[in-house]
Amino acid sequence: MASVVRGVLKAIKEKGIVNFAKDLKEEGYLQTKIHNIGATLIGVDKFGNKYYQRLDDTQYGRHRWVEYAQKSRYNASQVPPEWHGWLHFITDHTGDELLMLKPKRYGVEHKENFSGEGDEYIYHSKGHALNPGQRDWTRYQPWLSTKTSS
Amino acid sequence: MGFLRALHRARPLIRSNLSTSRVACRWISSTPDRHNPEAAAAAAPAPTPEVRPRTPVGGARIECPNPEDAIEVFVDGYPVKIPKGMTVLQACEVAGVDIPRFCYHSRLSIAGNCRMCLVEVEKSPKPVASCAMPALPGMKIKTNTPVAKKAREGVMEFLLMNHPLDCPICDQGGECDLQDQSMAFGSDRGRFTEMKRSVVDKNLGPLVKTVMTRCIQCTRCVRFASEVAGVQDLGMLGRGSGEEIGTYVEKLMTSELSGNVIDICPVGALTSKPFAFKARNWELKGTESIDVTDAVGSNIRIDSRGPEVMRILPRLNEEINEEWISDKTRFFYDGLKRQRLNDPMIRDHDGRFKPVTWRDALAIVAEVAHQVKPDEIVGIAGQLSDAESMIALKDFLNRMGSNNVLCEGNGSSPQADLRFSFLLNSNIAGLENADLFLIVGSQPRVEAPMVNARIRKTVRATQAKVAYIGPPTDFNYDHEHIGTGPKTLLDIAEGRHPFCSLILSAKNPAIIVGAGLFERKDKDAIAAAIETIVKFGRVNRPDWNGLNVLLLNAAQAAALDLGLVSGPECIRSAKFVYLMGADDVNLDDLPKDAFVLYQGHHGDKGVYRANVIFPSAAFSEKEGTYENTEGCAQWTVPAVPTVGESRDDWKIIRALSEVAGVRLPYDSLKAVRARIGTVAPNLLNVEEREAPTISGELKPEFQQNLSMAPFGVAVDNFYMTDSITRASKIMSQCSSQLSKK
Repeated sequence: MASVVRGVLKAIKEKGIVNFAKDLKEEGYLQTKIHNIGATLIGVDKFGNKYYQRLDDTQYGRHRWVEYAQKSRYNASQVPPEWHGWLHFITDHTGDELLMLKPKRYGVEHKENFSGEGDEYIYHSKGHALNPGQRDWTRYQPWLSTKTSS
Repeated sequence: MGFLRALHRARPLIRSNLSTSRVACRWISSTPDRHNPEAAAAAAPAPTPEVRPRTPVGGARIECPNPEDAIEVFVDGYPVKIPKGMTVLQACEVAGVDIPRFCYHSRLSIAGNCRMCLVEVEKSPKPVASCAMPALPGMKIKTNTPVAKKAREGVMEFLLMNHPLDCPICDQGGECDLQDQSMAFGSDRGRFTEMKRSVVDKNLGPLVKTVMTRCIQCTRCVRFASEVAGVQDLGMLGRGSGEEIGTYVEKLMTSELSGNVIDICPVGALTSKPFAFKARNWELKGTESIDVTDAVGSNIRIDSRGPEVMRILPRLNEEINEEWISDKTRFFYDGLKRQRLNDPMIRDHDGRFKPVTWRDALAIVAEVAHQVKPDEIVGIAGQLSDAESMIALKDFLNRMGSNNVLCEGNGSSPQADLRFSFLLNSNIAGLENADLFLIVGSQPRVEAPMVNARIRKTVRATQAKVAYIGPPTDFNYDHEHIGTGPKTLLDIAEGRHPFCSLILSAKNPAIIVGAGLFERKDKDAIAAAIETIVKFGRVNRPDWNGLNVLLLNAAQAAALDLGLVSGPECIRSAKFVYLMGADDVNLDDLPKDAFVLYQGHHGDKGVYRANVIFPSAAFSEKEGTYENTEGCAQWTVPAVPTVGESRDDWKIIRALSEVAGVRLPYDSLKAVRARIGTVAPNLLNVEEREAPTISGELKPEFQQNLSMAPFGVAVDNFYMTDSITRASKIMSQCSSQLSKK
């Protein structure tokens, strides 16, 4: 508790009271911070999401949670696959341990779900009219006059 | 009494309980009464004979030449009259019952090894394979009984035992006989739990893809190769589960008809290599059209998806190509997508082509055309020109005051007045009646594979003799090479050659003259010598016309009918040359200052000399009339849209004529065809062969010396003969891998 108060005072000193109030609003008035009291930080993924666990004094099945890096716009797809298993009680291995299992050759970077965020974020298959790579509909190869014999 | 009535009422319930318990213990079959066919048959009421006439499968018709040979059989109680010698399967087809089959194919010999066509015949202890069983008088065939159904189900289970479950990635998916028939006749589950067998894929060349694990050993491809294509490349190796189709040694399939094994393969063992994983057959739009790569005019179906031609398949036409097409016809379609001319172009001063608008291009050409003298204008129609564009070209040049219009491949001053002198008079199907062939200066295997297949069919069926005069070439049937040049022809004409006795004793002799001879200087003398042989051997009779000319190009016959009869020597003094798709004409004699207009769909040989390029539509993109070598006019239908700025040939000429101030009087295809009707009305009778009416007596005499130079080869590379096939990647692969060097 004391550490929280110390942290708040430090933040007010750094940012000023107005910015601190704004941040406080964005972060949901410390709800997660308060929730995190007494929990252990298990890990932080590459997006900055923090994974907490509290074993004592918590209902079983609600003892792991994530504090999203983005407080204003968060959704469950921001959790990368290596942490998913830990977060959903599929495994006890943390994401940092599971990162070693990621396939080197064909494993792609995790991307959150951008539904409703605009057309440019939406995935379109190769033949789709809105796929940026699919602008040329010609299905023939024109003759090019390279040779110029008279 | 009441108890009995209650029992009676409950019987359906009891019976259903019984049958479900049987299903539980014998779980393979979906219908319980198939387990005990005898009992089920005995329990079923005797079938009342249906006398309702049914339509034969596929609208087939049968003819009985003499009625005493007809026999009567009963198919499912329905009586049908069929000629003697027909099989049980054919009798069932006449009765309108389609029997499932894999190995049976009506154009191949009977193998009877797939056992899918089992039917029940009364008084026969076992089900019989209907494709191999001759129908006997009074036979009672049952195709719908539990015995027959169970037999099919069992055969299907055996076939599927070693068939991989890869339908989702199989190119045959959707048009697979095994898929369809297992849905219709197979069981709904299998009992097979062991490992499936696998077979190493064979390399059959650049056209046929093999996935030999899918093969069900129907041997259709083996029989096709040895019977129709005439190559002994494929065969069956091993026994039992080790049985596999293959070439005995590592060898490609070098036949010009090899693509047809893709069609006759009932499963996905042999599929098209260029089409592999490109499309599914239900995505494709089929357009019934005509092939233009040779003069036979094979009937094809162009399968397209959007603006792309995806594949070409044969279409049944008994008169022309039966149900086969050559490899060139089947696989040249990727040439339609490459090297296309899509904009009108003008050559700059520095020799580069620059795209311009149609308006500018037409204006420049019209201006140049008016600056030269009328008789310095020459028009040359190419191999792939349709009749509409050729009549437009001829009318346009005539209105400009020139009559120098020719079609490439026809030689100088061709014999166009008498139609019989340039047609295949005993039409392609009629060649089957011949019992002696004399092939003069033609290599039918490369010039017209479908005609060659017809000759081979005749030779196989009737042991007809074939004699050949010309350079050494390969035939896929027995033949006698009796000479290489006109000297042999002269010997026969003067009765000195041993062949004379053969032609005199033959009933229906056929002479096939290659159109490659049109290019020779002494072609009239050769024609006269052949005319002498025709008279001497009674080749031309009222009931049989055996004098045949085998043309090379799709445009030739229509060009001669329409009167495009100038000789190629007129380009020596030409100042304005209108090349309408003409790529194979020799332009070396053309004066350096001549203006060349190339109108075509591919950037091929012709464009390199051109000053202006007009892009036009290829045969798959336009409606056109083509006359094949036997004089049968056929239409192409647009399958895909035109490319870029290109337009139909006749429309370009019509537009040019208006800019040049000599407006042609037709604005629609109908009007162009009406104009064709005034010149050559036979071109309007589509899909009907119009036989030449005037006999040979009217032919003028020619005094010309026969040169003793041996005959040449007309087509040196079967796979690359015109601008589309030369643009095709598949064809160039074929010619590098398959052509015999």
